[in-house]
Amino acid sequence: MTAVVWFILLVLVVVLVRVSGYQSKWKVRQQLLDGACAVVLRSAQLAFAVHHSFQAWVQNSLTQAGLDMQELLQGDDTEAVLAKRQQLSDLLVSLPQRPEHLAVILPEVKVRENEAIGNMLTGEVDDVEVLCAWGLLAKISHMSIYTRDDSLSRSFDSIAGRLRNSKMVARAFDGRTPNICLEAKSQVEHICAHSDSSQPDIHICLWSRDHGYPSIAKLAQELAREVQSGALSPTAITEARVANRLQDLRGCKHPELVLLLDDLPCMSEFPPWQLQNSELIQIGSGERSLGDAVFRALVRFAKIEMRWGK
Amino acid sequence: MSVDVHSGYAWAALFATLTAYIVVAGLRKPISFLPFHTACNAVLSNVSQTTRLVLVRILRQGHIPAHISFIMDGNRRYARTQHLKATSGHISGFHNLTRVLDWCNALGITHVSVFAFAINNFTRSADEVEALMDLATNKLRELATRSELVKKHNVRICVVGNRSMLSEEVQKAAEFAEEETKSNTGMQLNICFPYSATDEISFAVQKVAEDVAAGKVRVEDVDEHVVADRLQVKSPDPDILVRTSGQVRFSNYMLWQSAKHTHIQFIDVFWPNFSFFHMFCILVSWQLARRQIFHRKA
Repeated sequence: MTAVVWFILLVLVVVLVRVSGYQSKWKVRQQLLDGACAVVLRSAQLAFAVHHSFQAWVQNSLTQAGLDMQELLQGDDTEAVLAKRQQLSDLLVSLPQRPEHLAVILPEVKVRENEAIGNMLTGEVDDVEVLCAWGLLAKISHMSIYTRDDSLSRSFDSIAGRLRNSKMVARAFDGRTPNICLEAKSQVEHICAHSDSSQPDIHICLWSRDHGYPSIAKLAQELAREVQSGALSPTAITEARVANRLQDLRGCKHPELVLLLDDLPCMSEFPPWQLQNSELIQIGSGERSLGDAVFRALVRFAKIEMRWGK
Repeated sequence: MSVDVHSGYAWAALFATLTAYIVVAGLRKPISFLPFHTACNAVLSNVSQTTRLVLVRILRQGHIPAHISFIMDGNRRYARTQHLKATSGHISGFHNLTRVLDWCNALGITHVSVFAFAINNFTRSADEVEALMDLATNKLRELATRSELVKKHNVRICVVGNRSMLSEEVQKAAEFAEEETKSNTGMQLNICFPYSATDEISFAVQKVAEDVAAGKVRVEDVDEHVVADRLQVKSPDPDILVRTSGQVRFSNYMLWQSAKHTHIQFIDVFWPNFSFFHMFCILVSWQLARRQIFHRKA
């Protein structure tokens, strides 16, 4: 039986060699070697994919065994939950470093629908609510939430309505109603504004691709017009001038931490100018919930050493 | 005690001992008390070279990135672990760079960019900056004239960055390296020195304004592509960005290019210890993710 199988294989190889035309022995050997290497490469790719899935499964199992961060904000206000929530808030505030400005890259709609990362996230409005709650819990003053396809801006009114009535957000703010400033490219809304407070407790910006590359191109056009009209000389276009013109109108710094919620380690055309000094933490679909992802990122950020080129 | 030399176990033990001896003797120590040290070193080098050739061949059965970019971080920390001065770490980093370029060339990668010196690195101690400038001057000339990469593989060197911040001597070395290799048609090596992405973008915006004033471009036609064409790095957007030493930031490097669809890899190893095994893992990961990246680009 074995001899028959070997004979059939040999015949197949000979037929293949004949059909492919006469070739030198060296070429045939090269082709066979390439074929063997291709098989090894596919095996290596399969091994990597299995390893990655295994890692995600292990991480998921570990997080399931641990504390459910999301339940602390979504659960009823029992004494035990209140105590744990306070402990969590104290822990976050006591971290050696926390970002003043946190940026979160959410996957766009077509990616959520088609890829595993969609399992960790619920809906866009829910995600913004969770992120807002976590921002208040960790006392982060500025949060930018980015989607490449600008889907968050289209849901601006829904997001504002959700934040206005959100129990989760109130729980994160010690049971009080926070003052939230919600901003998109052409809309600004102050939610639950107190008459005695002009400074929002958290400022949430909904970013899209338009905040990045098109903004820089638009600035280039404006400066070119000024040069053309004689109001400015080209040598006056320095890095400081460009930085000044691209600066956030509220004077907010660039994000110190960018949280990339995606299995693929790509920036999805995030505004490039704003990335200059940012730490980047990627969290994939192995996390159980968005709250766990934010908590993990903040803890990792606390341990990072920033050297600023020195 | 007598040994039965015909037994399989004895032969296996002998083979294992011989292999272990070759590996130990070939560990490139400057002074070795083991006999046949040089021969064993040669055997080990040949074995690792052959392994690398086989792995390169395996990788080339799949897609190869056109442009790979490196942030060569960790030279000083490497030097500290070896109880050496920071300058020695940078020299080790340079030697590893030549090895990495050799691998990239063997793999068929057509563009390689390396972050050699950031503009804010000028805030380091004067001694270290001076040592780095001297290293750059010597190594640029060495790369352009004596290196195998340039002579055998036709590598073209481009020094990218704000050269007005460099001394005349370093500027001349950079110009020399570019001039010597400008007609080469092989792999393009972009050495970012001294460089920052925000400086590059500002430079591009300034160039746009100059070209509009000179009538080369109409102001209504200024868009992202017009700005991108005036960036200093004249290569396609990197397919892969690798940062060594475990730090997870861009440090103001190639932001315009890398914030699009570049596959970002942060590797927790110092640059002088970056090996072909790490390169192999990075490329296999990229090959796995490539289809997803292209699907998202569409």
